[in-house]
Amino acid sequence: MPVPTKIEAPSGAPPASQPSQKSMTKAERRELQERQRAAKLAQKSVAASSNAGKEAAPSKPKAASAPSQKKSGDASGSGAAKSSLAKDASNNASAAVDDGAAKSVSRGLRIFSHFGLPKPVGHSIKGDIHPAIIRLGLLFSEFRICGANARCIATLTAFKTACPPSIFHSFDYATPSHNTLSRHLMTHLSPQITHLVAARPMSVTMGNAIRQLKLEISGSDIDMIEQDAKDALCHKIDNYIRDRIIIADEVIQELAGKKINEGDVILTYARSSVVEKILLNAHEEGKRFSVIVVDSRPLLEGKALLKTLTNTDPPIPCTYALLPALPSLMTEVTTVLLGAHSLSANGSVYSRAGTALVAMIAKGHSVPVMVCCETYKFSEGVMLDGFGKNELAPPRFSNPIKHSQPLAPTPNLEILNPLYDLTPPSCITAVVTEVGLIPPSSISSIPLALGRTNL
Amino acid sequence: MDIERESTDLVKREFLAVLLAGFGNELLPLTSDHGDEPCPKSLLPVANKPMIDYTLTWLEQAGIKVHRPAIYHHIHSGASLSLSSLRIDLQTFDESQDTSVGTCTLLRHFSSRITEDFVLVPCDFIPSPSLPLSILLNKFRADAISDGSIATTCWFADHKPEKGAFPEEWGPHPQPSPIVWDEASGTLLHIDTPDDQDRNGEEIELRMALLSRYPRTKLSTSFQDSHVYVCRRSVLDALHEKRHFDSFREEFLPWLLKVQYQRTRRTKYARYLNPITNTTSQRLALKHSTMSKETSASNDSFGTLLSKDPSISVPPSPTDGDDDHGTSNSFRVGVIIHRASAGFAVRVNTIPNFLEINRRLLSQVTYSLPTEPKDRSLIDQKAQISSDTIIGGSTQVSERTMIKKSIIGRHCVIGKMAKIVGCVLLDHCVIEDGAKLEGCILGKNTKVGAKAELSRCVTQAGYEVSAGETVKGEKLDVSDWTAAPDDDDDDDDNASEDEDDGSD
Repeated sequence: MPVPTKIEAPSGAPPASQPSQKSMTKAERRELQERQRAAKLAQKSVAASSNAGKEAAPSKPKAASAPSQKKSGDASGSGAAKSSLAKDASNNASAAVDDGAAKSVSRGLRIFSHFGLPKPVGHSIKGDIHPAIIRLGLLFSEFRICGANARCIATLTAFKTACPPSIFHSFDYATPSHNTLSRHLMTHLSPQITHLVAARPMSVTMGNAIRQLKLEISGSDIDMIEQDAKDALCHKIDNYIRDRIIIADEVIQELAGKKINEGDVILTYARSSVVEKILLNAHEEGKRFSVIVVDSRPLLEGKALLKTLTNTDPPIPCTYALLPALPSLMTEVTTVLLGAHSLSANGSVYSRAGTALVAMIAKGHSVPVMVCCETYKFSEGVMLDGFGKNELAPPRFSNPIKHSQPLAPTPNLEILNPLYDLTPPSCITAVVTEVGLIPPSSISSIPLALGRTNL
Repeated sequence: MDIERESTDLVKREFLAVLLAGFGNELLPLTSDHGDEPCPKSLLPVANKPMIDYTLTWLEQAGIKVHRPAIYHHIHSGASLSLSSLRIDLQTFDESQDTSVGTCTLLRHFSSRITEDFVLVPCDFIPSPSLPLSILLNKFRADAISDGSIATTCWFADHKPEKGAFPEEWGPHPQPSPIVWDEASGTLLHIDTPDDQDRNGEEIELRMALLSRYPRTKLSTSFQDSHVYVCRRSVLDALHEKRHFDSFREEFLPWLLKVQYQRTRRTKYARYLNPITNTTSQRLALKHSTMSKETSASNDSFGTLLSKDPSISVPPSPTDGDDDHGTSNSFRVGVIIHRASAGFAVRVNTIPNFLEINRRLLSQVTYSLPTEPKDRSLIDQKAQISSDTIIGGSTQVSERTMIKKSIIGRHCVIGKMAKIVGCVLLDHCVIEDGAKLEGCILGKNTKVGAKAELSRCVTQAGYEVSAGETVKGEKLDVSDWTAAPDDDDDDDDNASEDEDDGSD
């Protein structure tokens, strides 16, 4: 059977025009040599410990994928082979030139692995997702829109534009039956919501808002014509944002502002949109107080708050400190103002990681802790700790030096950055909502007091 | 005017791809006419696939499925596009080969057909696999909403060929312009155009406003422009204002960059660059966001010291008017820098680049005998074909021929004892017995006579090299035949064209 013969390196080639070609291929030949050497090394190490080598190969690709509970169980199970694996892993890592750098040698998280690692932004978008939702997903995953209020407003705004006009047109020729309309709208919105959740896990505020939106859709009038129905829906979305976030924030500003007196030292943690509004409003009203902004990595949101507070006229005197400095500063503080991601039915506050420490230390120093939270942030569930439900920050926020390459995963170091934690109700003095100042444990009685079935 | 049925798309199209397919004047004589037929640059095969194929695949991967790229030069039906998911709308723009029109003029001409944000793509940019278009699109999407950015560009590491790798006649390597960019936010700040260099060849002039806004910048001359621009629709409005600009890359883009930081230009052109339909304005959400980059919006630091902005302390309302204080509308131009370590990307607009990309693609391929029995019968058993070659279908290779590191097109006929090393042969070439080719690029239908020796030549389509000729480092044009045959020396430097009797 004829076989085309393979030509090896050119030999005895005419010298006249060859030198440049040779120099180019010299670099390539060097590369080839390196690769062959690395491959030989890999083969040797694999041959030496064949069993462990076989385990290393499948566990490596498994480790590269998103870690799961089961896998971490496997990793801990094969602990005996780990020591020999480590040596082979380092050999394999150096020899794995062809594997590409993506095949990390990490073993996955031991704890909090059930939250799932933040997924990288996919390059292919499945299905018909509206461009506004695509962009919003990007903003979420890059943490440009961060914070419970911001995310909820962004989601509702995007749904206003993603609400397709053409589905109303498609019902032009048929009498619109409101059931079909609402169901169609639901089925259209579901993949968009899924796309947003894939970018970042849904916040409680987003969930409440979407639930309310679905309620509105299913409750819309049958006899209305399409354009009116769509306008009505957009109006309802606007009203929701206005009533339950913007105006609620204004009421909270007033209520909390009454608690800020002249000469106070107010401590706040990270950056909450509500607390920022309260402080700016109190300053506008003419009160003179000072602020201590406590911040922590990885997000370092307090820096932005600091900039906003010092940009006022005359500027608010501020102190900026990281979390470990907190006990030293707590002696001078008169009030602590905190924001919240959500409030659970038993009164515990789910907020940025570090809030619980602030509340606890404040309580230890008998400093009143006020959590500022709108009513739409309440969630029906009972939360007892911050481990059941949490979120991990993507590893790129954990650079030791800003803007450097993200830390490459190594076999001995995993980066863990939970974003939220739970403050028990005992550490909180009062919760400031738009319906008044209430003790944290009486949250669940508010709907009853207002005569509503739910919040 | 075709009347299309508007499909009931629930989702509006997000991007329109505008594909520029020009003549390719830098790639002469490869792109010269073959007889009467033009050989446009976009159909030039790279690794036996037409160049435009790569671009269209790249666009498809990014999810620009249902789009109509506006190709404004009539493409031959030679491009068998099996990409049926693309609805292609060909737009011809009359231009002759001599008067090549700049991109700005073309965009102005077609601006009525472009109604949404668009992606301007050249047909000759071949990206590495690690640079999908979605990276650019995602950066544009995120920046446009959060920052009011108007465009995103991509610059890739320039690949300088080694000295002496390519002969002088093939044209000098295009010098990349120096650019200034901000690494942290990925903003392109300044391009030093050739006009700037003519004016002041020794210094690069930068505005203080630029530096006060972006204090930590980088300057480099080792990046080439990929000519891929993702732009907002409002950029076209600004283009209409500047009637005298012709070239997008050399004139309009550097001008656009200045709008970012020069206050007078901002106020003058803000109303053009502001988007007309503010469909997805997330301003309210960004005001509430805890990690917004708004702090850089107050980057007019001198400005805020002097003029207090009372609107900042007013709580925002959900029905926002068009106040562009504080947030957004920075009119930034983003940039993605693609470094050499991340992969090899190139713009195939010069002959050395053409050869280089072919060489790179060869390294990823292994040759195997064709499976079709008819094709296989054409390739002789005693032919020596190395594994890093690509041979097109229906090519006949005779015995004792040596082919190494080459790309041979379709329907070629290669005679006995020929030696082809490091060449690119387009379709329908005929190489007679005993010919020696090295580092050459032969256009379509080239005939190389027996025992001819070609080294580093580029031939036009349809050229005929007579038997026994020795040519080194020449660009062979068909028009050379018609030139008066005055010098008859078969010197190495002069390809004699007096052999009108052509081949054999």
